[in-house]
Amino acid sequence: MADLAIDVHALTKTYRTPFTRKKVEALRGISFAVERGHIFGFVGPNGAGKTTTIRTLMGLIRPSAGTATLLGHPVGSRAARARVGFLPESPYFYDYLDVGELCDLAGRLFGLPHALRKRRADALIDKLGLGRARGQPLKKFSKGMLQRAGLAQALMNDPELVVLDEPMSGLDPIGRKEVRDLILELRDQGKTVVFSTHILADVEAITDRVAIIVRGQLQAVGTPADLVSPSLQGVDITVRFPDATGEPTAALADGAQRVRRVGDELSLTLPADADVDAWLARARTAGAKVVAVAPRHETLEDLFVRRVAGADQPAAAGQVAP
Amino acid sequence: MTGRIWAIALNTFREAARIRVLYGIGVLVLGSNLLALVLGQLSLNEPGRVARDVGLAGISLFGSLTAILLGVFLLYTEVARRTIHAIITKPISRWEFVVGKYLGMAVVLSVLVAVFGLAMVAMLALQGTGLSSGLGKALVLSWFEVLTVAAIAIFFSSFSTPFLSGIFALATWVIGRLAPDLAATTQQASPVIRITTRIALEIVPDVHLFAVSGRSLDGAAVSVHGDFVPWSYVALACGHGLGWIIALIAFAAVVFHRRDFV
Repeated sequence: MADLAIDVHALTKTYRTPFTRKKVEALRGISFAVERGHIFGFVGPNGAGKTTTIRTLMGLIRPSAGTATLLGHPVGSRAARARVGFLPESPYFYDYLDVGELCDLAGRLFGLPHALRKRRADALIDKLGLGRARGQPLKKFSKGMLQRAGLAQALMNDPELVVLDEPMSGLDPIGRKEVRDLILELRDQGKTVVFSTHILADVEAITDRVAIIVRGQLQAVGTPADLVSPSLQGVDITVRFPDATGEPTAALADGAQRVRRVGDELSLTLPADADVDAWLARARTAGAKVVAVAPRHETLEDLFVRRVAGADQPAAAGQVAP
Repeated sequence: MTGRIWAIALNTFREAARIRVLYGIGVLVLGSNLLALVLGQLSLNEPGRVARDVGLAGISLFGSLTAILLGVFLLYTEVARRTIHAIITKPISRWEFVVGKYLGMAVVLSVLVAVFGLAMVAMLALQGTGLSSGLGKALVLSWFEVLTVAAIAIFFSSFSTPFLSGIFALATWVIGRLAPDLAATTQQASPVIRITTRIALEIVPDVHLFAVSGRSLDGAAVSVHGDFVPWSYVALACGHGLGWIIALIAFAAVVFHRRDFV
């Protein structure tokens, strides 16, 4: 218990629509835990409940039922909020402030003394590459710069737990890499990082554990390696036809998946039970030079698609993988 | 606690100071003072009376309208634009946030009333009209009227849209301002109208207490140009206003405390 940064039990959130009073179940009894010092990824399709979960954890939304603690304190408590840094989804800050003033405001709310506020703000602004934009109002910031300003204000209290709602949203590849590196750096400093995203490659690359949420229910929680199936899903093969016509490709592609031909190169995936040796022999006979042969295992994306599709079937609802 | 409230108040002041319509209102007030100057010259040896009447009316009218404008927008936009998400996830209570917003607004409105008052005093000085303690008391009363109207606007804004909040706040201010006249007018009306009016007057803040010039109190005529109310009355009226402000902000804080910010 003491090693848990987040502990969530049967968290439920039910709304009623304004006029029709129709019940909408945004969260349906989700339970999960995040260990201290881990990077925890939260993934799900649009409207799955990622942001509702995060806003509930941050005290912006009151749960209808269930309990949750942050660093051992009830969600929404001042003690919890004092030790957590939060970046909202699509952050909108007071656009008349500059990034230094935004950090100063955050520091004041955390009760930091003036000298410490100044020191931390300067360090974070430089670290997040906003030094040149220091005097500019936030309304002149690009989306990526705003995201970085949001990260700066979230880290002003040197938090033990950092909660980031879609931190890579709207960032270019370089910006995404910078955020990924920052998340890893925060973990190296001993902090716990929880973030939601649509970008599965990011989750696979940096998370210790991941949760997949669909329609307000957790579909899977675990390490990326544990969640994906270890069994062989197929064999990826790339061959080259230096003197090829269109004929051999059509014959060789029979029964294969993900067939792609670029120039003289043919890439495809054979089923897991296919006779790879026989296929390669046929390809060589047709004049192919083998470039690569690699086993294909299930990816997080495959798992995600499978779980989302499974959630559409009533029988699959409520099943949570270990 | 005070540090967090002050941080919100300071930020609200910054935000309000950037609202361009406030500068327009400032121009309107200065314009009304100039109008008073012209009307004063046209009056029969009563330029000071005209200047005081127009000046005080301008402060009350434009100050209260500004209070409604700020009150209904500044809290609402925090929620609509979700700027509040990065704020109340910090260790600040929701009531501290509401109080901070109100105090920031109160500082802006106090500055406005001070500027309006100084403009009026400057104009009176230009006309060679002496200043009286009555004028000072009237200014203090107008100041508290504006602060009370701001609390009314924030109260409605805590659970309604700016449009509806604006209408409710404006109606509350007008009813409160006209309370004695409404009570007198409906005295001869049917019991239903009389009771309805009575209930309406009981539940709205007594804003009329801040606009006593030209009225009769305890059988005596009160005028900012002559015999005005004593300081004890000013203190009681301001205390009454303060009570309403605390009650309205407390209610707004309770509503805010229960809200989900989706």
